[in-house]
Amino acid sequence: MNRPHAFSKGHSAYPRGSAFSISPNPFQPRSQPALRRRRQLLQRLCLLAAVSFLVTIFIFPSWRAIILPTLSLGLLHPSEDLQLQTVRYYDLSEVQGTEKGWERGERVLMLTPLRDASSHLPMFFSHLRNLTYPHNLIDLAFLVSDSRDDTLQMLSSMLTEIQNDPDPKMSYGEISVIQKDFGQKVQQDVESRHGFEAQASRRKLMAQARNWLLSATLRPTHSWVYWRDADVETAPFTIIEDLMRHNKDVTVPNVWRPLPDWLGGEQPYDLNSWQESETALALADTLDEDAVIVEGYAEYATWRPHLAYLRDPYGDPDMEMELDGIGGVSILAKARVFRAGVHFPAFSFEKHAETEGFGKMAKRMKFSVIGLPHYTIWHLYEPSVDDLRHMEEMEQERLEQEQKERERELAEKKQAAKSKTQNSAGKPDAGKGSSEGSAAPPAKDADKGGSKQAKL
Amino acid sequence: MAVARSMRRTSPISLLLAALLAFGFICFILSPSTPSSPSTPAEAASSRQRQQNAAEHHLSPPTQPFLKSQSYRSNGIQAPPPVIHYNLNNLTSTSDSIANGERILILTPLARFYQQYWDNLEKLSYPHELISLGFIAPKTKAGNAAIAALEKAISKTQNGPIDNRFASISILRQDFDPPLTSQDEKVRHKLSAQKERRESMSRARNSLVFTTLGPSTSWVLWLDADIVETPTSLIQDLTSHNQPVIVPNCFQRYYDTQSRKWDIRPYDFNSWIDSEQAQELAKQMGPDDILLEGYHELPTYRTLMAYLADLKALDPRRLLALDGVGGTALMVKADVHRDGAMFPAFPFFHLVETEGFAKMARRLGYEVFGLPDYLIYHYNE
Repeated sequence: MNRPHAFSKGHSAYPRGSAFSISPNPFQPRSQPALRRRRQLLQRLCLLAAVSFLVTIFIFPSWRAIILPTLSLGLLHPSEDLQLQTVRYYDLSEVQGTEKGWERGERVLMLTPLRDASSHLPMFFSHLRNLTYPHNLIDLAFLVSDSRDDTLQMLSSMLTEIQNDPDPKMSYGEISVIQKDFGQKVQQDVESRHGFEAQASRRKLMAQARNWLLSATLRPTHSWVYWRDADVETAPFTIIEDLMRHNKDVTVPNVWRPLPDWLGGEQPYDLNSWQESETALALADTLDEDAVIVEGYAEYATWRPHLAYLRDPYGDPDMEMELDGIGGVSILAKARVFRAGVHFPAFSFEKHAETEGFGKMAKRMKFSVIGLPHYTIWHLYEPSVDDLRHMEEMEQERLEQEQKERERELAEKKQAAKSKTQNSAGKPDAGKGSSEGSAAPPAKDADKGGSKQAKL
Repeated sequence: MAVARSMRRTSPISLLLAALLAFGFICFILSPSTPSSPSTPAEAASSRQRQQNAAEHHLSPPTQPFLKSQSYRSNGIQAPPPVIHYNLNNLTSTSDSIANGERILILTPLARFYQQYWDNLEKLSYPHELISLGFIAPKTKAGNAAIAALEKAISKTQNGPIDNRFASISILRQDFDPPLTSQDEKVRHKLSAQKERRESMSRARNSLVFTTLGPSTSWVLWLDADIVETPTSLIQDLTSHNQPVIVPNCFQRYYDTQSRKWDIRPYDFNSWIDSEQAQELAKQMGPDDILLEGYHELPTYRTLMAYLADLKALDPRRLLALDGVGGTALMVKADVHRDGAMFPAFPFFHLVETEGFAKMARRLGYEVFGLPDYLIYHYNE
C-alpha cells in the first residue's frame, strides 16, 4: 500500500517553487532501532493471539460460560436468575403444515399412549430408529397409564439410550413421558358391565387419555401431529412422509394384521375407519343423547363402507378415500386441526367417541379427513384366548389325525401283507393318498377370521 | 509493509485502549443484559424457585422458562433434549392453591392493549413465579400494535424486580384472519356477524390453550384484554371455591350524566341459567343455528347472572350454578381442558364459544358456577 504522498508521480496544480510547494521527498526511511522492531513483532503476535482466541470463543459457544466470568474480572456478575429466557414468541401461520414438511423443517409431535406395553417396546423402538423423517424435527411424547409392568422403566432407559446415541442424527427433539392413571373406576366398570356395554365407557376413557397426552405436549412449534400405537408390527419407515405427501388435514393408512395360515393368513384390523351411511345416520337419530355407536358389533348394524375392506394388495397406495370416522392406530393430522379445538370426545359427540368422534368433529369443522385403502400397515397379531384354545384343539386334532393315520397305515400294511400272501397283485400307493388328505385344514377354521373382525 | 508503518505511528497506549474497547464489546455481546443480583431473601427464594422450574432445553413447555446457556456435547454439537418425566398424578388443583404451589396459566386473546389491564395483572397478589401468561393476537394492523405495546410492558416487568416477574410468557400470532374488518358497532353486533366473530374467537382461544397448557399447569384463568380492574386476590378467591369452572360477575364503571357521578352497570350477559323457552327455541332451530343472548329475534328468557348481583349487600362468596358462562374472566381447572373441554367453533347444542364450553364441560361431568356478587370491571370506551 502506498501512503498518500504529495504528487509523487503527478504534477502539482500549482507551479513549483511557490509557497505551496512541498520539498521533494522529505521522508527518509530511518533505520529502526532493534528494540522497536522487536516490540512491533510482539504487538503483532499479541493481536493475532487475541483474535484467534475470540474466534474460538465464537466457534465453541460452550466455552463462553467458562471463559466469560474469568474474562470479565468480576466486572459483570450476572445473577443466576438472569440466565432465564422467560418470553417466547410464536407465529402460528408459519406452522401450517405442507406436503414437504421435512424440507421446510416442520416439527412433528409423535404421540403414543402406553399401557402394560413393555413387551411391545423393543419392536416400537426399532421402528423409531428407522424412521426416515429427520429425527431432530420429531418430538416424542408418551402417556404411561395404569401400567402394572415395567413399561415406565424400560421406556425411560430406551429413550435415554436413543438420545445419547453417538450418531447425532439418531436423537429426537423434545421427549416427554407423561404418567397419569385413569384406571381404577373404569376397570371395575368393565368387569361389571358386559362386553358391548363396556365398549362405550372404555372408548371414553381412551379418549380422555389421548386428550391428556395431547394437551400436555402440543407446542406452538408443531406443524403436524402423528399418533402411533406401540403394537404396530410392520410399517414403512417413510410413513410420516408418505402420509404427509397427501397434504390433507387428517390422514390414516389401512390397518390389517397378519394371521396364522389356519386363520386365513391376514385380516382387516381397524374397523373404526369408515364412511358415514344413511342407515347409521338413521340409527343415530333413534339413540339417546349419550349413546355411543361402536363399529363391529351386531347391536349396531350400520352398513358403513369400511376402509379396511376396500384394500387391494396391488392397488395404488396413493389412492384416497373420504372418511367420517377414523381409527387410532396411526393418524397423521395437521397440528392446526388440534389447535382449532378438535379432540377425542370423551363424551358422546354425534353418537360417537374417541377416534371416531375425532373424525366426526374434524368433519364438523370442515377439515379434510381421508384414508388410504391400499397403503397398509400391519398390526401385531396376538392370539386371543379363543385363538389359543382353538390352536390347542387343532394341535389335539392334528395329533389324533396322525395317530389315526398311523393306525390306518399299520392296518393297511397288515392287510397288504395279508392280501399279498393271498393275492400277489396289491395296491402300493393307497397309503400315500390318505396322508395327503390329513394335511388339509379342518373346514371350520376357514371362516374363523371372518367372525372375529371386531377391533378389540 | 503498510501495516507495520501504520502501527509504528500508533502509540502503545491507543492500542491498549482499542483492545480494551474490543474486549468491552465482546463482553457486551456475550453477556446477558442488565445484570443485577437479588437483594432481599424473598427475592432470593423466588429466584431459586424460578431456577428450579427452568427447563434445560429450549424445546420445552412454554409454561417453563429455559436456560439461556444451552448445553453442548464434547464435539461442539448442541446436546439433544433430555428425557423428561412429568407425573400428572401428582398435579393438584385445590382450594389451597398457594400452599400447594399450584401453577396458574392466564390466557388472554389480545385485540387491543390497555395499560390498565397490564397494571392490574401486575398487581395480582398470587406469587408471580407460579403465574405463566399466554397471549394470542391476529396478524392485523391492530394486532401488531397491540403486540408492540404488550412487548414493551413485558420487557419492563420481566427486567424489573425479580419477585414481580412472571414465570414465563408466550406470545402467539394466530394463523387465520379475523372475519370482520369493520369495527362498526352496528355491523359488529348483527346476529350473523356475531356468529362468525364468536367462532373465530373460539378458534383463537383453542389455539392458545392447547399449545400453552403444558404438563404442569393446575389452573387456567381466562382474562380478557379489556378487564381493567379486579381484586388483587382474584386468583386465590376464585380457586378457593375449588370448583372446576367458576366465573365472577363482569361489570363496567361509567359516568352517569344524570346523577353526575360514577356508577357501575352489568356488562357480560353470557353467564346464565337455562330456561325452558330457550330449550324450545333450540329444538326448532336448524343444526347450524346458534342461540345468542341479548337479541330481540331470540327471546330466551334465561336467568342472567349479570342482573343477580345484590349491590346493596355484596356477598362475594355466594355461589350460583350456571349453564352458560362468559369469558371475560373465567377460572377453569386445567383438568377440564385436558379432558377435552374446548370452545366450540361450531354450533354445539346451538351454542358457541364460552357458552358452548360450559355445555361441553357439563357433558364431561363437570359443574359450572358463577359468583354473582364478586365483581370485576370491564374497560369503558
